[in-house]
Amino acid sequence: MSDAQPTVYLVDDDASVLKALRRLLSGAGWSVEAFSSSQEFLDRHRDDVPGCLVLDVAMPGLNGLELQEALDARGSLLPVIFLTGHGDIPMSVRAIKRGAVDFLTKPVDGEDLFAAIRAAFGKGQALREARAEMDGIERRLAALTPREREVLAHIVSGRLNKQIAADLGTVEKTIKVHRARVMEKMQVRSLAELVRLAERAGIKSR
Amino acid sequence: MNWVTILWPMMGAACLTLGFVHLLIWFRRGASIAHLWFFVFTVSVTCYTAFELAMMLAPTVEEFRPVQRWLQVPVFVLVVSTIWFVRSFFNTGRLWLALAIVGLRVLVLGLNFVSPQSVNYLEINSLQFIELWGGVSVPVARGVTNPWNALAGFSYALFGVFVADASVQLWRRNGRHDRRRAVLIGGSLTFLVFFSAALILPTHWGVLTTPYVVAWLVLAPLFAMGYELVEDVFHATQLARRVAAGEAQVRQNAERLGLALKGARLAFWDWDIAGGKVYLSDRWQEMLGGAAQPLVTTFPALAVMVHPDDFPELRRHLREALKGIVPAYEVEHRVSTPSGEWLWIHTRGEVVARNANGRALRMAGVNEDITARKVAEERFRLVVEASPSAMIMVDEEGNIALLNAQAERAFGYARKELLGHPVETLIPERFRSSHPGLRAGYFDDPSVRTMGAGRDLYGRRKDGSEIPVEVGLNPISTPEGRFTLASVIDITERRNIEMEAAQRRSELAHLSRVAMLGELSGALAHELNQPLAAILSNAQAAQRLLAGGSQYPGEVREILDDIVEDNKRAGAVIRALRVLLRKEEVAHHALDINDVALDVLRLMRSDLLNRNVRWNTNLAPGLPRVLGDGIQLQQVLLNLVMNACDAVADNKGEERRLEVRTGRGEGGSVLASVSDRGKGIPAGDLERVFEPFVTTKPHGMGLGLSVCKTIVEAHRGHIWAKNNAGPGATVCVELPAHAQNVA
Repeated sequence: MSDAQPTVYLVDDDASVLKALRRLLSGAGWSVEAFSSSQEFLDRHRDDVPGCLVLDVAMPGLNGLELQEALDARGSLLPVIFLTGHGDIPMSVRAIKRGAVDFLTKPVDGEDLFAAIRAAFGKGQALREARAEMDGIERRLAALTPREREVLAHIVSGRLNKQIAADLGTVEKTIKVHRARVMEKMQVRSLAELVRLAERAGIKSR
Repeated sequence: MNWVTILWPMMGAACLTLGFVHLLIWFRRGASIAHLWFFVFTVSVTCYTAFELAMMLAPTVEEFRPVQRWLQVPVFVLVVSTIWFVRSFFNTGRLWLALAIVGLRVLVLGLNFVSPQSVNYLEINSLQFIELWGGVSVPVARGVTNPWNALAGFSYALFGVFVADASVQLWRRNGRHDRRRAVLIGGSLTFLVFFSAALILPTHWGVLTTPYVVAWLVLAPLFAMGYELVEDVFHATQLARRVAAGEAQVRQNAERLGLALKGARLAFWDWDIAGGKVYLSDRWQEMLGGAAQPLVTTFPALAVMVHPDDFPELRRHLREALKGIVPAYEVEHRVSTPSGEWLWIHTRGEVVARNANGRALRMAGVNEDITARKVAEERFRLVVEASPSAMIMVDEEGNIALLNAQAERAFGYARKELLGHPVETLIPERFRSSHPGLRAGYFDDPSVRTMGAGRDLYGRRKDGSEIPVEVGLNPISTPEGRFTLASVIDITERRNIEMEAAQRRSELAHLSRVAMLGELSGALAHELNQPLAAILSNAQAAQRLLAGGSQYPGEVREILDDIVEDNKRAGAVIRALRVLLRKEEVAHHALDINDVALDVLRLMRSDLLNRNVRWNTNLAPGLPRVLGDGIQLQQVLLNLVMNACDAVADNKGEERRLEVRTGRGEGGSVLASVSDRGKGIPAGDLERVFEPFVTTKPHGMGLGLSVCKTIVEAHRGHIWAKNNAGPGATVCVELPAHAQNVA
């Protein structure tokens, strides 16, 4: 767990279920926020708070799966655990494919729910870290000139300086200078490291 | 020639003429015998007149003597004819007195001829001529008086008494002409007798000297008698004319009666019981196939023509009428015709004359040929008999007049046990008292209709068991009065079939319900899992609290309260499910259709959520209740909601929507409908969708709506589908309001 206390967001239209879950989770020491509809959650939720969403599928208005889609569209990293009274397989497959942490059936055992929440928190942490790394890479890529980006593409394709110079219609010495700049701007020491970053940034080799 | 010789012959001639007129009247007109006696009287008067004239003209004693003797003959005839005239014309006069007088006169006549000269004189010695008016002298006898002359005087006295007595009797009778006659004839005769006696007898005794001029004295009674007789003839003629007119009237009446009898095709009969003769009018022979001629026959001759089966009945009626137990009788019987056929006769009769002891002397009546009617009746009876259903004909008093073998079989009675008995015999006791009133109501407004519309009718068999029946009523008008022909159908079999069909329907509904719940199982599991989830979470939260040595018992109590609440919720879901799955007798209760709709939506809630279908409700408040089976009506609405869900399955977002409405229909009925926003139903399928195995869904069985239709129709309602003005279709259910709701 990170330094900020993660919160469990509960969304269920069934008041008694909502109340019971909140009671259970609070009793287990979690910070819990409960919402009786998807819309209420969307209106009040801020993405920067770490936590996870425990979501009922069948609800009037926006149902669980639709709320998941809406959060995706907003680029939310909030991990989702589905709780359903009666889930069928296609529904659960669809949910998992969209990145749900788990698909639990009511009535759910407290320990199972706790485990899922813990896993969700872990996943949330990982996602946030991955997002932070990506942000760094992208920031560094943004510092490259167009020429340097071109050269980078050639480098990650494993081509030699001489070859690159020929391709770009310049001399080998110039390529060498570009290469040094790229390595510096991307803050890498080795070619392998550079290739890994480029891959993560989705830069395709030529 | 002198006035005596002119007057006396004239008197005689006039007298004789008058006499002959009356002889003619008596002879030609058949008038009273009095006319004949009058004729005899005039003849005697004429003779007497002639003898008197002869005496007056006799110049000598020798010529006078024989005339004097023979004069007694016309006197005798005159007295006798007068007496019998009085008796026959007056209808009075004592017979013994009359006979005594006649006897005395016979004796006097005999003595007259036995005596030497006459009964008046033993010896006439001389004639004394007396001068009369106008120089006429007539002789008066002078001689020795015959002592027997006293007897003649006595007979005259009796004669006078007789006439006077007869006249007084006539006077007392006080008829129309009686008093005048008594005065005129009686008076003049009495005057004649006493006056002539007073003139003549003293002369015979030599006290007086008066000639025989008595003839003119006779004129008074003669004219009185003649006048009265003519008066009588005149009256008789008038009477005859009146009688003739009366006879014409009688003849006309008889003719009219004949025409009436003929028109009515009635044969008149007249039985002279004492004379042993029966007179029959010409129609009788005509009825029997002969020529139209009257017939005179005897009672036994007629009796043998009567059908042996009908005779005892006829004889019974006749006896009652003859003894006077009944004033008249009517009976229908058969008689054989000469050609060997049987003719149905309706005969009516009554005793028209009895003797002092009350014995019937004469009986009369009419016969009518009713064969055609009997044949029609027989045909009607055969038609009724041939009817496959039980038929019972009831008269206006409610007595059974006719029934067929089917009716005997249906009710277990023999025909004779029912004929003439009240139709209420066939009705269970608990309905008996109200039936006569209903029956009378029907006769007031008869029409072809079914009895007791809308009510279950029962018949009562002889063994006391009851059968459910359906009764059709037909009014029948006949010459014998109004009847009702009831056709009774034993519907036990139909009831059983109906019950079996209801059983099947209920089973089918159940199966369809089970299938539907199968489809809904996911949603129902969800519905059940919701409270279970809450219970589990609450219980674990409590465990945790207790494990941590909670210092907050209030919180645990709150948790337990919630657990109990959710448990109840789960129980309610299970109960609802059990109800729908249960296979039980259909039970009709007064239901609020809104409750049914809400129950259905509660059950469907999860399914609707799972399918992401939104719903609206638009339930009218204060609807009348409907009489129905809650489970089956739930099933109908459940089915319609599920169909609506299927219909909007391909829609997106807000268009995945359905609406449940309730409201009032026409005539106080209750409506419930489910609308969707799907593709609608092809116009040609709007009715077909309610047929079994017709479906618009890719995976539908096509049973749902047909089961709905069966259920709704079993509730006396109807169900139909229509396409909305906007997208989608609506299925409506209309149910009659429960009768007790209608104010």
